[in-house]
Amino acid sequence: MTDSWQDPRSRRWRAVRGHAVLAVLGLLCVFPIYWLYATSLRRPGDVYSLSPLPWPLSWQSYADAASKVDVLGLLGNTTLVAALTSVGQLLTGLLAAYAFAAWEFRLKRVLYLAFVGTWLVPFQVTMLPNYVLLFQLGLLNTLAGVVIPTLCSALGVLLLRQHLAGFPKELLEAARMDGRSSWTTLWTVVVPNLRPALAALAILLFVNAWNEYFWPAMVLRRSNAMLQLGLRSFMGTEGDDWGPLMALAGLACLPVFLLYLVLQRHIVNAFVRSGLR
Amino acid sequence: MSRIQIESASKRFGEVTAVDRICLDIEHGEFLVLLGPSGCGKSTLLRAIAGLTPLTEGRIRLADRDITNIPPRDRDLAMVFQSYALYPHLSVERNIGFPLRARRRSRAEIQQQVRDVAEILDLTELLARRPRELSGGQRQRVALGRALVRDPGAFLMDEPLSNLDARLRTATRSELTELHRRLRSTFVYVTHDQVEAMTMATRIALLDHGRLEQVGSPTEVYDQPASTFVAGFLGAPPMNLLDAQLVSRAGRLHAVAPGVDMPLDIAADLPTREVVLGVRPEHLSLTGANPVLHGVVRLVENLGSEEVAHLVVGDTRVCLRGQRPLSLAVGDAVGLHSAPRHAHLFDRASGRRLVWRDDHAQVPTAPAELDLPAS
Repeated sequence: MTDSWQDPRSRRWRAVRGHAVLAVLGLLCVFPIYWLYATSLRRPGDVYSLSPLPWPLSWQSYADAASKVDVLGLLGNTTLVAALTSVGQLLTGLLAAYAFAAWEFRLKRVLYLAFVGTWLVPFQVTMLPNYVLLFQLGLLNTLAGVVIPTLCSALGVLLLRQHLAGFPKELLEAARMDGRSSWTTLWTVVVPNLRPALAALAILLFVNAWNEYFWPAMVLRRSNAMLQLGLRSFMGTEGDDWGPLMALAGLACLPVFLLYLVLQRHIVNAFVRSGLR
Repeated sequence: MSRIQIESASKRFGEVTAVDRICLDIEHGEFLVLLGPSGCGKSTLLRAIAGLTPLTEGRIRLADRDITNIPPRDRDLAMVFQSYALYPHLSVERNIGFPLRARRRSRAEIQQQVRDVAEILDLTELLARRPRELSGGQRQRVALGRALVRDPGAFLMDEPLSNLDARLRTATRSELTELHRRLRSTFVYVTHDQVEAMTMATRIALLDHGRLEQVGSPTEVYDQPASTFVAGFLGAPPMNLLDAQLVSRAGRLHAVAPGVDMPLDIAADLPTREVVLGVRPEHLSLTGANPVLHGVVRLVENLGSEEVAHLVVGDTRVCLRGQRPLSLAVGDAVGLHSAPRHAHLFDRASGRRLVWRDDHAQVPTAPAELDLPAS
């Protein structure tokens, strides 16, 4: 076995095969996104064309989308909701994970399992009670109604606790000896050293919130105040208006894409190694 | 003043007793070393003093104030951790100033004190660096600086030298002794390294299985070990311990075993008794009138200035340490000599040191009696 590893020809062959598999998988992943943008750039008459290159290019679909819905307003609303949701989830997740990782208290394991257990409860189970509650609070049809029930996420707690479990205990103890309370230790010692993990989680939560369709659709009912709901404007009983639909969907993808580009270094850091030390 | 009194302190983790009813009175200005093998409870005891681990039973007083239930930050104690626990995201300057910022001192005051401490520890050049840009020795000094800057009642140190290489450890040892002399403050220092304990301590507390085996100056614990554990822990190689019988012959006591017949300085007529005979390797020699041990050489180690010979006496391993060359070869049958005053006797069952009082060898029960010299 070691011989085949050391033989340069067989090693190169393995590398070629590996790259080929990865390339095919990569193409499969990228293709739908490419097709989305390609369709959005075709002339309205060519929307059903199967040619791989959208030629001649046309911005007509984007113009149609902009004339039918308030793209900037939708973008703003969606950003606001996604930002509030992810910041809220990050904050509650950080506090809960810190308590689970740094403190000793009774029933810690049970409580943690209960926390994680909420992850296993399907959205459909909590959807109706939340809806009724929002109705009673008069928050239906408001962005606050979309955000508030999602402020706490088990995923955030889970991931942050994993990171905090690997946090050097002696640093927390040193901070205690040096005169910090638990609260100030969190902000002066834990958070600055956890920045890569927090950045990665922030992106994850932001993207999740950004891509949410069903819950905003329920709370906002007939109004189309968010991008994802705005897409509904182009779906009709007599057929979908594919060009503007794809244009708007393409626009909806862009902010997340940009966010990823900016914070990519942090994401890779956090997922490859814990980022500490 | 910062006297630390530990009163019958115990710490249990479930079934395991990490610290078992320890009483210790640490005077102001002492350099007390908690010494013992890993798992003996020395770190747990230190953490209990720091307030990081709550005691199951017992009390701790600092300068006559009961601090048993006071949180660490209000105890006026500074701690240096084994891993140094420097804050990775802060510069050296901010690391050292961290405890002062937590106490909301003014910016100018913090800066001045950090500069002063950096001066003492020779860190001035490094103030702008991050911990990861420092060598092990520099990190150790920063950790020390963070403790120093607070001007605490006492310093607690948890094996602060164990991550340094041998040469640096030797240098830092003398620096710490110097620092202690200069500050005249109380140091409580945890280590498993007997050289650190012997060289730095004003007093050593030896722990085993959570119990205090002996407290005394380095000379006392080395010259009059209170138990077979202490005798077998200190010294490199440690004291030779042989199961023997104490017999009276012609009005004089002898320790006798296969290959062993050691006369003692005690004139008495006693019934035969089971004991453990202890002799330090450096107190055995190849020259003298009457050999007291007979053995066969199994191994000779060269330490540079000295040699250590491993022999088998009866069926026990015995070490002999002496100036090089010992001129011994593996397989040699030799007789070893030792003066009667170098014999240590321990009770076979309890392992406690036997001291001669009046006309009976007795098993002392209270620790205070252990330091009585054999007359």
